[in-house]
Amino acid sequence: MDFQSHNNTSGNKFVCPSDRQLALRAKLRAGWSSSKTNEPLRPDEQAAIISVIRRNEEIETAERQRVGRLVERVEKIKQRAVEGGPNCCRLCGDTFGLLRSTRIICEDCKKSVCAKCSVDINIRYHTSDRTREIWLCRICSETREMWKKSGAWFFKGLPNYDAPSSTNSTPTHQSASGGAMSDVLLPPRGAQSCNNTPTRNVRVKKLTIHVDDSSSSEEDTNGGGGGGGDVVDGAISAVCAVAPLTTARTPNRNSFNADVSPPAATRMQREDSFRLRTFGSIRSFIDSGERKLSNSFFANRQSSRTESNQQDYDTISTASTVTSVNNRRESNCNYTRRSSVSSSWSISGESSSGNSANTSNHVPNHNQVNLHCRELLGWLEVAVSYRESVHSLDCVMVRARDLPAMDAAGLTDPYCKVNIVTPDGMTKYSRWLRTKTVHKTRNPEFNETLQFVGVEPEELGGSSLYVAIFDDDKYGHDYLGGAKISLSPVHNTNQYRISVPLGGEDRFSNEAEMSQEWPHGKILISLCYNTKRRALVVNVKQCINLIPMDNNGSSDPFVKLQLKPDSHKNKKYKTGVKWRTLNPIYREEFYFESSPHDLNKQTLYITVWDKDIGKSNDFLGSLVIGYNSKGERLQQWLDCIKLPDHFHEKWHCLSGEHPTH
Amino acid sequence: MAKTYDYLFKLLLIGDSGVGKTCILFRFSEDAFNTTFISTIGIDFKIRTIEFDGKKIKLQIWDTAGQERFRTITTAYYRGAMGIMLVYDITQEKSFENIKNWIRNIEENASADVEKMLLGNKCELNDKRQVSRERGEQLAIEYGIKFMETSAKASINVEEAFLTLASDIKAKMEKRLEANNPPKGGHQLKFAETRKTETWLSKCNLL
Repeated sequence: MDFQSHNNTSGNKFVCPSDRQLALRAKLRAGWSSSKTNEPLRPDEQAAIISVIRRNEEIETAERQRVGRLVERVEKIKQRAVEGGPNCCRLCGDTFGLLRSTRIICEDCKKSVCAKCSVDINIRYHTSDRTREIWLCRICSETREMWKKSGAWFFKGLPNYDAPSSTNSTPTHQSASGGAMSDVLLPPRGAQSCNNTPTRNVRVKKLTIHVDDSSSSEEDTNGGGGGGGDVVDGAISAVCAVAPLTTARTPNRNSFNADVSPPAATRMQREDSFRLRTFGSIRSFIDSGERKLSNSFFANRQSSRTESNQQDYDTISTASTVTSVNNRRESNCNYTRRSSVSSSWSISGESSSGNSANTSNHVPNHNQVNLHCRELLGWLEVAVSYRESVHSLDCVMVRARDLPAMDAAGLTDPYCKVNIVTPDGMTKYSRWLRTKTVHKTRNPEFNETLQFVGVEPEELGGSSLYVAIFDDDKYGHDYLGGAKISLSPVHNTNQYRISVPLGGEDRFSNEAEMSQEWPHGKILISLCYNTKRRALVVNVKQCINLIPMDNNGSSDPFVKLQLKPDSHKNKKYKTGVKWRTLNPIYREEFYFESSPHDLNKQTLYITVWDKDIGKSNDFLGSLVIGYNSKGERLQQWLDCIKLPDHFHEKWHCLSGEHPTH
Repeated sequence: MAKTYDYLFKLLLIGDSGVGKTCILFRFSEDAFNTTFISTIGIDFKIRTIEFDGKKIKLQIWDTAGQERFRTITTAYYRGAMGIMLVYDITQEKSFENIKNWIRNIEENASADVEKMLLGNKCELNDKRQVSRERGEQLAIEYGIKFMETSAKASINVEEAFLTLASDIKAKMEKRLEANNPPKGGHQLKFAETRKTETWLSKCNLL
């Protein structure tokens, strides 16, 4: 660019200074130096520089193609992804939740993937003091690689790239010195607005990707349910939507976009939606299924967050301000979510009836269809009001809708745990408030007011309300979904009512989960169906935190096992006694003869006892795993049947109730 | 198709005219040295691919003219640089003093988190030395950047300097991609495991 201007002006500058100018220079004592700075380039110099720029252009072209290939690679994986919903593996569509394989939550997108689709992406990170293992789904790990390899990590956005289909990009780029390089490198902010050099050929597209890694750690702590990885989804799919060959999968997204009119959709998406609205037919809308719908919903939601992502890039030092910005942004998101709820539901209703046949053949409850087709874990409606006179925040948990099913009948026993998250990303109260459990429903009407006292009015601005919903069960409370609601719109007088989508696990939901008391301890059980011996192998590994029953402050625990109903006349088994310990390690295996078919109707009763000599043994805790269990227990049981000859290991909470046989 | 590589790092050499930027680059890319002084016209670059932790890193190293008259062109290339080598001549006091101007130049034009490194070149000419090694180190500490004394002629530290800069950039990249994932509570199983050890110990103490 600069060079160009040099060229343009060189005609004027390259003249001998007049006598008057020379006289002036002599007076100013500036000598020649001041003019030397602007001395134009000689033709040979120009030629030399231009040749360098040409050489650079070759490299840039190769680089753009390389980045293009990287992007294409990720896109392909994405296209192949099934994106079936929270209970299916994001990539291969294998269902878990109720059925089979183990669920792994991807660190970046917080979506569930099965072990198969995440096996090779166990990444080790060398933090200063230790190694941390995280799991990423294949999409997110590839996205990270792309982010690294393309240099986007440095320039905070993907550079220009050529789609691989265009093997030879026409070298029509401006030959300006600055331009050739600098427009490949995006400035950190406003990546959209810059870089729109019209001389580029059409195939060169700029991708406004803001991957999770662009967000600093503050963003993460403030992030609500969905991880920042969704942003990538959105943006990438937005780009691939422009490519003609992928239009088939996009129309409904776009009609969705059009219907709901997302507030902060990227420019790309808007164009996209415009284009597709013109020829998107209802037919294709129904065909491509509703699951993409929620994708686009998330994409919109996330894209509105990208701005904040972008903002907190360079400002790690000013953490607090960034946080408040994010919070505010998030509250904006919440607003928009509320507005879009109704339309999105009407759409999903239609299409689920349209394609229910192919989605569910093994799920008893018809409602399940919705569940499997959605990214969302359901919706939560909350009403918040603040009474300044008593400094109390009243949160009415009104209702939740379409929560994930947790038992074989497709039902859930949900309750909410609520806390306030302060601007610095900490929970305000050490004790989480909880609602009563509403039994056997996926659409609970809580209608319960939880009161936080001691909330200062000025606190409301940066704080948010965190609601985590759990499934109530004797043997462990499974996480159903969580939502973070900004409190900044809450005013003194009127009630602030909002409906928010529930997201996956995050830091706060973990915290809520940990706040639960399990006085009876936990047990680690490994299950495997051995096809050779036609038997269920139960490995009792260990227990922790058992209750002390003896006067010495300890117990002498052993575990009894029984499979019921039992057609094979299996024995009752028990482990050896571990003396004077509350954390016994057994690692003992027991074989229960059974068939996979029978296992579908059987239940394993595990009880832990304190061995006493001279008096009856004391009961320490119990666990029931079987076809009628819920959540994690049911999942382990079904995993074991579906994937025989593999051990499926899980921690379970012990209940203080003696199981009623 | 050209050689494949995993990462492309763009580096930049800046410093006063005649400090030996071109020679350093020549040494690094061709492992050769040329005694005749040819002032660089505007800009130039060389490519060298190095391997690091099993990853191929293609280094595109931009050599800039030290002369004032090319300043507008050279500064245009600051923005794209991931790493910048600041070079001075240990036999020229002036070139060392100018380093702070170059730093200011970087601050104005380059990307904020660009990786920087200070090189005192021509360290084989110890008898003509005007800038002591300590002063160079001191300045580097002041700016919080790494420092090396190099000699393009005697091939001292040139390779090391570029490898250091490249590895620093790579480390930064990995740190960046990791920073967005603050350690979180982990899911239930992990939690249980950690708690196990705690309680185990505490319960043992009780006994």
